[in-house]
Amino acid sequence: MSDFLEITVDKFTFKVATDRFYNAEGVWAKEEYGRIRIGLSDFVQKRNGDLAFAEVKPVGTALAAGEEMAVIETIKVNIAYSSPVNGKIVEVNPAMSGAPEAINQDPYGAGWLVVLEGADWDAERAKLLDPQAYFKIMKGQAEEETKKP
Amino acid sequence: MTAPTLKVIIVPCSGIGKPYGSVSRAAAYEVTEDLRPGQTQLVPLALLVLGDEESRSVVEACPAVTIDGCKLACAAKMVRQSGGTIAQEFAVLDVYRRHKDLKPQGIAELNEGGQKLARVLADEVIAVVDGLITGKQGCKNA
Repeated sequence: MSDFLEITVDKFTFKVATDRFYNAEGVWAKEEYGRIRIGLSDFVQKRNGDLAFAEVKPVGTALAAGEEMAVIETIKVNIAYSSPVNGKIVEVNPAMSGAPEAINQDPYGAGWLVVLEGADWDAERAKLLDPQAYFKIMKGQAEEETKKP
Repeated sequence: MTAPTLKVIIVPCSGIGKPYGSVSRAAAYEVTEDLRPGQTQLVPLALLVLGDEESRSVVEACPAVTIDGCKLACAAKMVRQSGGTIAQEFAVLDVYRRHKDLKPQGIAELNEGGQKLARVLADEVIAVVDGLITGKQGCKNA
């Protein structure tokens, strides 16, 4: 079970799971027995709003870090997310095709996007943010959001 | 002596400035003004929030169909908090998921997709309304 760093900004509370790593866009990566599970942070899902659709690259797609992995459509935005690490997609969350709201309901659990294989986790992890570092970035982003009209 | 009027109340989202909220209200207007004007009555969410006595009494007396623009489901929550009974909850997002080609955009004026989505939603609402009226489950003389 994950522990969280938490902050409340305005009326919203944002959680950062401490058992995984992040990129600055709020895409998380978690090593699991040689594979890497990927998803979106709690802040990202709250900022983007209710999910309507999620289109994820299919199993077998080889991704380099920074390459488009998924496009999500919410009630507020259409936005593409890149893979935070190199690897080949070996699993796509089946919920993304029929119930993408799993991202809103459980961003660090049932709302994962893909599982990648073939990545050198030690090398990949070094390029990512630890939870504390992402928390600081996320806090700044959250405070900026509250200033928007 | 005339027979009592059976009515169903329609409570849309008040998400002003948001396309999905606009779709919920457009659908509610279609139902209450064009499609089933005699059998339905729109109750503005804002009046329930303000505790307007007349609106609360209507909500308490009649079955409600709520149309929410987002998962906060303010319309459904306020109807319950006002002592009402919800016959059916609709969420614009659920309807949009079934009609991906009808993406709602625009706020003051919905785009064509939003207008068509509102019509689709209105048709789903009147199916519920007709079922309630046929089953004599509307309120009386509200």
